[in-house]
Amino acid sequence: MTTEASFWIVQTLNALQLSMLYFLLSIGLTVIFGLLHFVNLAHGAFYALGAFIGFSIAGATGNYWAAFLLAPLAVTVVGALLYLGLVRHMRQLGPMNQVLVTFGLIFVFLDIFRMGWGDIALSFSAPEVFSGRVSILGNPYPAYRLFVIVLGLMVLVGLWLVLSRTQFGAMIRAGVDNEAMAACLGVDVEKVFFAVFCLGCALAGLAGVVAGPILSVEPNMGTDILIPTLIVVVVGGLGSLKGAISGSLLVGSIETFGAVLAPELSAVLVYIMLAAVLILRPQGLFPARA
Amino acid sequence: MFQQTHLKTVTLLLLAAAGVLHAYTTGYFGLELLAEIAILALLAVSLDLVAGYAGTISLCHGALYGVGAYVFAMTTTAAGWSAPAAMAGGVLLSALAAGFIGAVTARTHGIFFIMATLAFGQMAYVYVFKNRDFGGDDGLSGVPRLDLSVIGVDLGDPRQFALFCILIAAIGYLAAAQVLRSGLGRAMVGMRANEARMRALGLTLWSTKAAAFAISGGLAGLAGVLAAQYSQYVSPGLLFWTVSGEVLVVVILGGLGTLVGPILGAAVLVLLKHEVSSLTNHWHIVVGIVLIVAVLSGGRGIFGEIERFVGRRSGAGRAIGGAANAAGGPGGPGDAEAVGEAATRPGGESGHA
Repeated sequence: MTTEASFWIVQTLNALQLSMLYFLLSIGLTVIFGLLHFVNLAHGAFYALGAFIGFSIAGATGNYWAAFLLAPLAVTVVGALLYLGLVRHMRQLGPMNQVLVTFGLIFVFLDIFRMGWGDIALSFSAPEVFSGRVSILGNPYPAYRLFVIVLGLMVLVGLWLVLSRTQFGAMIRAGVDNEAMAACLGVDVEKVFFAVFCLGCALAGLAGVVAGPILSVEPNMGTDILIPTLIVVVVGGLGSLKGAISGSLLVGSIETFGAVLAPELSAVLVYIMLAAVLILRPQGLFPARA
Repeated sequence: MFQQTHLKTVTLLLLAAAGVLHAYTTGYFGLELLAEIAILALLAVSLDLVAGYAGTISLCHGALYGVGAYVFAMTTTAAGWSAPAAMAGGVLLSALAAGFIGAVTARTHGIFFIMATLAFGQMAYVYVFKNRDFGGDDGLSGVPRLDLSVIGVDLGDPRQFALFCILIAAIGYLAAAQVLRSGLGRAMVGMRANEARMRALGLTLWSTKAAAFAISGGLAGLAGVLAAQYSQYVSPGLLFWTVSGEVLVVVILGGLGTLVGPILGAAVLVLLKHEVSSLTNHWHIVVGIVLIVAVLSGGRGIFGEIERFVGRRSGAGRAIGGAANAAGGPGGPGDAEAVGEAATRPGGESGHA
C-alpha cells in the first residue's frame, strides 16, 4: 500500500487539508498571543461557535454559502463584545489569570452549546458545487476537501500580503516587536489590538463553518481541537505567520501520516515532537521576535 | 515566603474539625463527597506547591494524579502487589515522572511552560488511553482498598474511608508546608521572584525545578492512589488535561500560593458542583462564571480574601504579609504572574539569555 503513488498523493492531500484547518485557527491564536500577550484558551470555543451558527444558518436558509459568510461575522461580533467586556481588562493580568478566565469561558460556552444545540453530534452538507469528487493525477479526491486546502492557501497569501505590504500590517508587526515603541511612533495600539482580535475570531469562526461538513458538529469540538492548535502555536513560535504555517504543516502531517503509517504510536508522536521542540528551541521554530 | 500563620492553622483545624464532625453526622452520599473533597484538596495542595510558590503553572497534574492511580490499580490487580507496596509504587513513579518533566521543562517560561506540561500530561493520557494492557478507554475495575484491619480500621466502610482520606490529606499538607519551610522551599520562592538573580546566586535552576516538581508529583500521585481506592476503578479520564485545569480552578478559587486556600477551594468546588447539578444539568456554566468572577475580583481567592479581611481588621501587617505573598506585592501584579510576564516580555528575556 505504501509503495503506491496514489496512497502518498491522497495522504498528502489529507495532511494538507488538516493543516489548513489548524492554520486558520492557529494564525488567530498566535497573533492575538504575540500582539496582546493574551492566552485565549477559548479560541477553540469560537471555532465551535462558528460551526454551530453555520449549522443553524445552513439549516434555515438551505444555503451553505450564507453560513460560510455569516457565521464568521457572527463569531466576530461575539468576539468583539467579549473583547470589550472582558479581554481588554485581562491584558495586564498575566498568563496565569488569562488561562483561568478563558478556561472559565470554555465551561460557559460548552453549556451554551449544550443548551442551544443539544449534545448530539450534528452535521451539515457541503455545498452543491463541491459535493463531488475531483481527479488528482488519476486519484478521485473529495472536492470539498480540496476547497478547504485552497481556502487555507488563499487566507495564507492574503494575510501575508496584508502583513508585509500594507500599513496595517506594518502596525501589527511593530506592535508584536515592541508595543511601547510602536505607540511612541503614533500607532494606535489599542485599535490595532482590537482589529487583530476580531480578525482572529473571524478566522476561528471560518474554520468552524468550513470544518462543519467534514467533522461532526458537537459541543466538545472546540476543546478537542484546542490542544493541537496550541501545539501548532508553540512549535511554530510566537506571533509569526511563518510559525503558524510551518507548525500547522508539521502537526497536520504528523497526525495524518502517523495515523496510517504507525497507528500504535500516532497519538503520541505529536507530543514527542512538541517536547523535542521545547527542549531544543524553547521559543519555537519561527518566533516573531528573536 | 511560606509562613504557617495562626490564621492558616486556625482555618486548617476548623476545616479538619468540620470534616470529621460531618463524617459522623452525614449519610452515605455525604461521606462520598467528603472523601472526594479530601482527595481533591490533596491534589490541589500538590499543585499549589509548584504553581503558587515556585511560580510554575503546571497543566500536567491531572496526569500525575492518574499515574498514581494507574500504578496502584495495575500493581494490585494485575501484578498482585500488596496495597501498601502499590501505594508506595504509585507515589514514587508519579514523583519520578514529575521530576523528569520538571528537569526537561526547566528552560521554558510562562505560557511555554504551561504548554510543555500540558504536552507531557496529554502524552501520558494518550498512552494510557491507547494501551489495551491498561484497559484502554474502559479503564480498570476491581481495585482494592488498603487493608487496615490489623489496627481495627475497615476502609470498606465509607465513614472510615472518608476519615482516612482526610488524615492523608492532612499529612500531605504538613509535608508540603515542611518542604516550603526548607531551603528548597525558599529557593522555589526565590526562583518565582527572579530566576536570573537566583542563578547568579549559584542556584542550579533545573535541579531545583526538578526537585520541586518531584515532591509535588509525589503528592499528586498520593491523591491518585487514594482516588483509585475511593472509586475502586480507574479510567483514562483521570489523566485528561481538563482535570489539571479543574485543579487549577480549585487552587485559584481557594487562593493561589496560600496552601490552605486550595483545601477550601476543593470543598467549595465539590459542594458547588453537587448543589448546582441537583438544580440544573448545566453546572459547567455556573462553575465557569464563578471562576471568571474569582479571577477578576483580584485573584486572591477565598483564603486570600479572608487573610486580607483579617489583616485589615487587626491592622497588623502579619496576615497581610501572607496575602501579599500570594496575590502579589502592593499595587503590582502577582509574583507568579510577574514571572510569566517576564518571560513573554522582550525585556524579560535579556536576563535569561
